[in-house]
Amino acid sequence: MPDTRHTLSRRDFFKASGLFAAGAAGGAALLGGLRRAQAAPAPQWESKFSACDMCFNKCGLIARVEDGVVKKLDPNPKFLKSRGMLCARGNAGVAQVYDPDRLKYPLLRAGGRGEGKWKRIPWDEALDMAAQKMKEVREKYLPCGHLFSAGTDLHSQFVGRFAEVYGSFNVTSHESLCLVSNNRAFLDTYGEVPFADVLNSKYIVMAGANRFEALVTPDSMDLMTAMRENGCKLVVLDPRYTKTAALADEWHPVRPGTDMAFMLALAHVIITEKLYDPEWIEQKTYGIEQLAEHVKPYTPEFAADECGIPAGDIARIARELAAAAPASMIYPGRRSSDYEDSTQIRRAFAIVNALLGNWDRPGGLLAARAVGLKGVPFDAPWYDENHEDRIDAGKVPMMFEHEGSFLVTRDCVLAEDPYPIKGWLVYKTNPMGTAPNRKKTIEMMHKMDFVTVIDIAMSDTAWFADLVLPSQSYLEREDPCSGLQGSVACACVVKRDPVIAPLYESRSCFDIMKGLANRLELGEYFDFTIDEYRQKQTRDIPEALKVMDRDGVYYNPSKVYGIYDGKIYKTLSQKIELYNQRYEQMGLDPLPRYTAPTRPDKSRFRLIIGRNALVTQTSTANNPLLHQLVPTNTLWINPDSARSLGIADGDLVQVASGAGSQELRAEVTDRIRSDTVYMLSGFNTLSTMQHLSHGNGASINDILEDDYDAITGNASMHTTFVSVTRKVA
Amino acid sequence: MPRLHKRHDRSDIFIHWFNAACWLLLLLTGVGLIQNPAIDPFGSGYPEALRNLVGGGGNLLAVHEGIGLAWIAGFVLYLLVNFKGARFFLAEVFAVSPGRDMAWMLKKMVLMTLGPKALKLLGMDPSLPDQGYYNMGQKAFAQASVVGGIVIAATGVVMYLSDRTLGAEASGWISWAVTLHFIAVGLVFAGLLVHVYMAAISPEERPGFKSMFTGSVPDGYAKHHHRLWWNKISAGEE
Amino acid sequence: MAKQQLAMLIDAAKCIDCKACVLACKVANEVPDGQWRNWIKPADAAPAPGPAPRAKARFQPGACMHCEKPTCVEACPTGATYKDPATGEVVIDETLCIGCGNCIPACPYDARFRNELTRKADKCNYCPERRAAGLAPACVDTCPTKARVFGDINDPGSDAGALYLRNQARLTRVAAKTDTRPNMYYLGDPGPGDWGREAVVPASMVAMKRSAPVIKALVGLSGLGVLAMLGRQLFAGDSGEGDHKEDSDA
Repeated sequence: MPDTRHTLSRRDFFKASGLFAAGAAGGAALLGGLRRAQAAPAPQWESKFSACDMCFNKCGLIARVEDGVVKKLDPNPKFLKSRGMLCARGNAGVAQVYDPDRLKYPLLRAGGRGEGKWKRIPWDEALDMAAQKMKEVREKYLPCGHLFSAGTDLHSQFVGRFAEVYGSFNVTSHESLCLVSNNRAFLDTYGEVPFADVLNSKYIVMAGANRFEALVTPDSMDLMTAMRENGCKLVVLDPRYTKTAALADEWHPVRPGTDMAFMLALAHVIITEKLYDPEWIEQKTYGIEQLAEHVKPYTPEFAADECGIPAGDIARIARELAAAAPASMIYPGRRSSDYEDSTQIRRAFAIVNALLGNWDRPGGLLAARAVGLKGVPFDAPWYDENHEDRIDAGKVPMMFEHEGSFLVTRDCVLAEDPYPIKGWLVYKTNPMGTAPNRKKTIEMMHKMDFVTVIDIAMSDTAWFADLVLPSQSYLEREDPCSGLQGSVACACVVKRDPVIAPLYESRSCFDIMKGLANRLELGEYFDFTIDEYRQKQTRDIPEALKVMDRDGVYYNPSKVYGIYDGKIYKTLSQKIELYNQRYEQMGLDPLPRYTAPTRPDKSRFRLIIGRNALVTQTSTANNPLLHQLVPTNTLWINPDSARSLGIADGDLVQVASGAGSQELRAEVTDRIRSDTVYMLSGFNTLSTMQHLSHGNGASINDILEDDYDAITGNASMHTTFVSVTRKVA
Repeated sequence: MPRLHKRHDRSDIFIHWFNAACWLLLLLTGVGLIQNPAIDPFGSGYPEALRNLVGGGGNLLAVHEGIGLAWIAGFVLYLLVNFKGARFFLAEVFAVSPGRDMAWMLKKMVLMTLGPKALKLLGMDPSLPDQGYYNMGQKAFAQASVVGGIVIAATGVVMYLSDRTLGAEASGWISWAVTLHFIAVGLVFAGLLVHVYMAAISPEERPGFKSMFTGSVPDGYAKHHHRLWWNKISAGEE
Repeated sequence: MAKQQLAMLIDAAKCIDCKACVLACKVANEVPDGQWRNWIKPADAAPAPGPAPRAKARFQPGACMHCEKPTCVEACPTGATYKDPATGEVVIDETLCIGCGNCIPACPYDARFRNELTRKADKCNYCPERRAAGLAPACVDTCPTKARVFGDINDPGSDAGALYLRNQARLTRVAAKTDTRPNMYYLGDPGPGDWGREAVVPASMVAMKRSAPVIKALVGLSGLGVLAMLGRQLFAGDSGEGDHKEDSDA
């Protein structure tokens, strides 16, 4: 091998040159020149397993650590859920951990709320103060007078646990700004929220989802494999020509808000042409007669007028779907915070899937698989003197108890109806940056006596808090186990162990909750370590922890298909409910009834939101690596619309709605319908401690109006009409 | 004992041989740094072998840079010690009397290679015009060395700084520096061959060669080879 | 055994333009802010609603193509950039490169840049440190749709070699005005593949190449002169003594 020889001769040269270099004027430079090696040596790194936290997917990763510093994050090839990949955001995780904008120590507000004046205080003082304020709120406003909000994170369960032992029912998550209406719709059809067997599907209609940009593992990867290797056909309905649309076999720029008409027309064709499996429908579903009657008026021609998709195409797609059934699907999607009838829209998706008979079968929708992880129950104390229910209870008929509705809660807090909430603890979620109508969230902040925010960065929510506590990033902390469903790929368990020592004075959320609990005489509920907690979680799968240490993941070899063989469905009829009996009882439409969305007048546009593969809302806009690829957000506007408004590509435009107004650059593109405009979220933060996103682009949540889904209280983020005007320089 | 005339002081002698040594090493290492079939002087075998010898091209570059910097430092030192000498040298070297010196140069070239008969055949007087402190051949090479040396040093410094302080906007400068460095060395080297022969091998300049060690030349040598200078010093002595 | 040719085979039809490869490369190789070793070129297909046939969008990942006839190597005066005969890689010896920049316009694919931190020529090097650790190059390892296969296309036993052999007839490459015979192969339609420009060798390098024979001739001439003088000294003896008196006073 030439390498050996090179190494030897290089070493010899070091000796010889040392003498020479000592006398040479360029000695320093000479040594500098010699230091570099020619053959690439293997890096001296340690490899440690973890799970990504740059979005909700939790992809398995291997951190390459050199001298206590993470040099690179690589995918864990044994991690089936993410198909052994790590996306751009996953790779940019290093920039999040080492972001100079990270919070370093506890900060106490020293000026007006949102003024940005802070005082560094020691941890003990911070925890004493937070606990004291919580005590005061509880005494004055009862336990439910305190709100707790936690994002998607493995430590969020400790916030929930804390809220429960503190005595408050008021816990909100990010989900009511995202996916609860979709979950509701499928739960109310199948009795559970399904996973899509994209990999084995032969025909997929994707509406209200953008899997090649808004990555979901393994669906995004499996979709490409299915298309490229299994000949799966992809039909995309999207007002935007997304990358998913661009790569699809068929793209229909559907009129926003009309997806339900399309789905009902599909049902119309499948039923009138008897393209379904009558035996399967008879056995497994409830309400085919009612559905047949219901969809009669929803002809392809009707849908064509609504959706702007030719009737012939709609009928053909219905037939093609049915021909490929049961290995075909209407992809269920995820974020469904779009319209005021989003649960019903998604019900229509669920119903067409049922007609395809794809439940629990290859290429269709799959039931949740057994993971084997157990909960860690506890007996929370009972507070006699408390309010009876959540603050947002009863405002919408079918809210998820544990997720709540952030928008409804916010309205209630502002109105102090039915009772006041004066304390708020927020962990790893940023409603100021993600909830529509930012002005209302600011008002909500002003309603509070004391707000504590636990985060790794000075988010806009933290910016308005009284006390900001620096938390550990995902690579620094010890996390409880988490069960993940990977569709056909796997059902698995992951955990996180520290990959590097915690930076600065950061502490884990668990440690903070424990510290607060101890100060509120609730210490007994947090009298355990994460390791003990994991032992309890894995009591039924005792080998899991060891396997995770070895592979970074534990797989439960549980059944994939036929889980429902001989089993009843968790619905009133114990069948798949085409017709929902419970909805009928509650006075809701038992079958999705189409209401045409209002169309914006000539001078206005429907503002829609969406992601791309480089963006996780507000958590990535300030990431120094991702920022280089997405330096700002722009307003997508169709060339025809732009021309009529005298707007050229790159012009500064003002976008105004009933909620607010923002300025950003126009991106004139034919990748969007002429009645619709689009922008990315996460930009133009108020917090000046987010150097890259502050004062950069436009804040979408400042413009979005705060309508919500009538059934779940999920935000409806596609119902805002905006005017767009060119700013004269 | 023949009468001797002092020609070089100790710093002159030092800088001459220091320069010679540096140039030799720089040339040997420098040629090894050129590896491109369109330009490398001896084909790619030499650079390859030399690089292997020192453990890679990077090391060779480092050695070359080190010697180059030492060479420049040597000259700076010389200028500090003997600025007067340097000024005298430059004044002499660049003082050219076109008629006399060109004739000397042409005749000398023919004499050295073809002999006096060739000049006679052309109907020319084979005797050479008188020369001063330096003859035109020495002056020509000295001029080339001074100008070339400055170019080589300047371009060398540009290249040395290239990957240390200069940015991408300097790429054009650096690239031209490489080219000029190459051309300047080539031209100086062409002259150097003649210089080495004349000074070290040719018997007629033997006293001059010796003076690069002793500092002095015999009176006869000065009279015949540098008549104008001899005239001047003889007049001064009287 | 045939000599190695390390190459990248990319199923462009699988590329979703997610930029994972771009960021993985950046982090793995500590490429400075605003500079990139690799890219994804979108084919700007005009959006056309409805079913096929219509021009589907294509995304074309790219980087240094480790060409068979690398024009960058021709532009390098020192051999700091060379084609490794053992592996077929186009390598930059960072210790020898001084950042003269000659190679940058010489690459018709603009795969090279002057690294702002090292101030040297930079480009894809197939992550040698990772390979030494038994890992695939960062872009290959991280790719969500596994669109990339890396390896020795001359080894039929390797994944890359087998794929190369099996698909040889339909593999495509990017064409440039200067044909460099790149070793980046596309399976599936990578979109427009004729964007490669002409390799531009900087005027300074051209001058160096042109002057080289002149310099060599001058040195040769000078050498011949010296030889002539030496010859005369050795063989012609003192024939000129009478006419050219040397040192009568000695």
